Amino acid sequence: MSQPAIEVRDVVKRYGEFVAVDHVSLAVPQGTIYGLLGPNGAGKSTTIRMLLRIMLPDEGTIRVLGNDVAAIDVDRIGYLPEERGLYKKMKVGDLLVFFAEIKGIARAEARRRAVAWLDRMGLLDRAAKPIEELSKGMQQKVQFIATLIHEPELLVLDEPFSGLDPVNANVLKDIILDFHRRGHTVVFSTHMMDQVEKLCEHICLIDKGRVVLSGTLAAVKKQYGHNGVSVRFNGDGAFLKSLPEVASFQDHGNELFLRLRDGADPARVLDAARGRVEILRFEVAEPSVHDIFIERVSEA
Amino acid sequence: MKVMHVIRREYVENVRRKSFMISTLLVPLVMAAFFVLPVVFALFVPDRQYRVVVVDQVGGVGAEVAAALVDTLKSGETKYAVQSIEAPGERFDAEREARIAAVQDGEVDIVVAIPEAVLTDGKAEYVTREARNFNIFERFTDVVSDAVIARRLSAEGFDFARVQALTEPVDMEMSRVSATGEVEEKNFLAEYGLVFIFVMILYMATLSWGITISRSIVEEKGSRVIEVLLSSLTPRDLMMGKLVGVGLAGMTQLSIWALVGLAMSGYAATSAVAMLSSLEIPPAVFGYLMLYFLLGFLLYSALFMTVGAACSTEQDAQQFQGLITLPMIVPLMTLMLLIQNPASTFAVVLSMIPLFAPMMMLARIILLEPPMWQIVLSVALLLTAIYLSIVFAARVFRVGILIYGKRPNLRELIHWYKLAK
Repeated sequence: MSQPAIEVRDVVKRYGEFVAVDHVSLAVPQGTIYGLLGPNGAGKSTTIRMLLRIMLPDEGTIRVLGNDVAAIDVDRIGYLPEERGLYKKMKVGDLLVFFAEIKGIARAEARRRAVAWLDRMGLLDRAAKPIEELSKGMQQKVQFIATLIHEPELLVLDEPFSGLDPVNANVLKDIILDFHRRGHTVVFSTHMMDQVEKLCEHICLIDKGRVVLSGTLAAVKKQYGHNGVSVRFNGDGAFLKSLPEVASFQDHGNELFLRLRDGADPARVLDAARGRVEILRFEVAEPSVHDIFIERVSEA
Repeated sequence: MKVMHVIRREYVENVRRKSFMISTLLVPLVMAAFFVLPVVFALFVPDRQYRVVVVDQVGGVGAEVAAALVDTLKSGETKYAVQSIEAPGERFDAEREARIAAVQDGEVDIVVAIPEAVLTDGKAEYVTREARNFNIFERFTDVVSDAVIARRLSAEGFDFARVQALTEPVDMEMSRVSATGEVEEKNFLAEYGLVFIFVMILYMATLSWGITISRSIVEEKGSRVIEVLLSSLTPRDLMMGKLVGVGLAGMTQLSIWALVGLAMSGYAATSAVAMLSSLEIPPAVFGYLMLYFLLGFLLYSALFMTVGAACSTEQDAQQFQGLITLPMIVPLMTLMLLIQNPASTFAVVLSMIPLFAPMMMLARIILLEPPMWQIVLSVALLLTAIYLSIVFAARVFRVGILIYGKRPNLRELIHWYKLAK
């Protein structure tokens, strides 16, 4: 494999007494979609800001696209911050041209791209309108364009799906997939696990400033999923939770996810359930990222 | 050079604002009003004939008043059509009332009633429908006074014309010697007015553009644009771009004002109206206005930017802005003292202190020609102060710009300054 797009080694960032990022190491391979997971306040945003040279680490080394932290080439990175923001008074077209220009795109080219993107997003007729006259959904689209207009090689998105309506969430998902298909790298932080499941190849779980878990999604799931059972049923299934084979469980209401003890046979669980509840579905399953997330974070 | 794009954006967005256009137009209009209105008033004072009746109880005074009122209209006609009625003794009251009734009816414009007692108590009456025309009222006051004084003097055996000639007051002419030795006549009152106008313009421009820059940073922090910016630019690019872009916008506005001012000053110089010709302003003064605006703007804006970077909300920023405004008020408060003695040690020292220098030095330049070394020294000190304040601002900027939440106190500001090494 080629050199990773991002390599973070033993990075520490403190705010006064508080250690926001505590010896974090991670590597994002080229061309992958990489999910940075963790609860609020885990240190995701701080880590991301350091990737963009907005903040400098107190300790450790960071390499992004082959450059050390001091020389990170921000022009090759597209960044969508967690809290969205645009100049409210600026006209849509002017704003996009400005954001492209400060990423090193020449004015004429920036204009051409702004028009092309606005056309693609169905916003061409708004180009001369000030941002504040656009609906929130439209502003989000403009923000996506601003993130991508300089055709970066690396996308860094901080909680990209939060606050999006389903339509825009889909638009963004398509953008990410399209970007990925062209061989580029995407890193995004989130606590929306279904997005992770659908999009990510690699994940890294951060909690309280430390990396708790990382690897390919498949590997992580394998590590956790070697003995899980998902049961959907009608009737009172509370007894399933206290079967001797069950190590832990996640109650989803209509569905129960049971983690079995090492060596326990899923068939024994099926036998126990049969006859006492009406089984709608029984599946030997790997746990969802959500389950892993909850389990690891509540453990810590 | 990414800083160029920031400069361009700041400049264009500021110059496009409605408030920019309004204030850019409004200030010259106010200045123009100051220059032009006196002329306009002089031109448009209603020029017509007044029907005047003088009711004279003394006898002879009315005739003298009529004889003295030889004013003519532009058309060459006499301005006052005076009818003098001698109404001695008891006839006076009836005559007076009848004539006042005529004023009321619009048949007569002005009635002057001069009772006999005027010779001792000095009281006469002026009745008109429109009491606003003070020029005409004063003209009548003069003419009636002269007639009454002449009567009193002759009763004592003096000749009025002779007394008038002997008591003619002295006409003092003011002038000052400039550095080049030429003696120029100056209307000192007009000159003080100019100093005030220039200092106020400098004050307002520095303050409003400084607040503009502070507000724009608070806005960028508030709308979180700042993160997108910082993922593309260094804080240094952002800060310098703002300083230069907003500064250029301010300079644009000021040069428009200066050009209008120059044009008006040229117009005033050629004007026949004496009051205006004394308002001629040496072109160099406009140059100094621009220079000291630029320096003052850079110095204060660096401080205003620090405030913007340090605060998260407009309200927080306003309190700090007030603190920065304080040193600007000192020149305004000491301006009267400085005008009275612009060459005193006090004035020289004030015009050297960078925070006061722009306004104080400009005032001194208008009032007298300070030695060149003083101007050069004040500029050099200002440049040093600008350099230091930008270095300080840059450090606080770098740390403060991403910190949201509570307003920092001075100790934290200093801590940030130390952090950003």
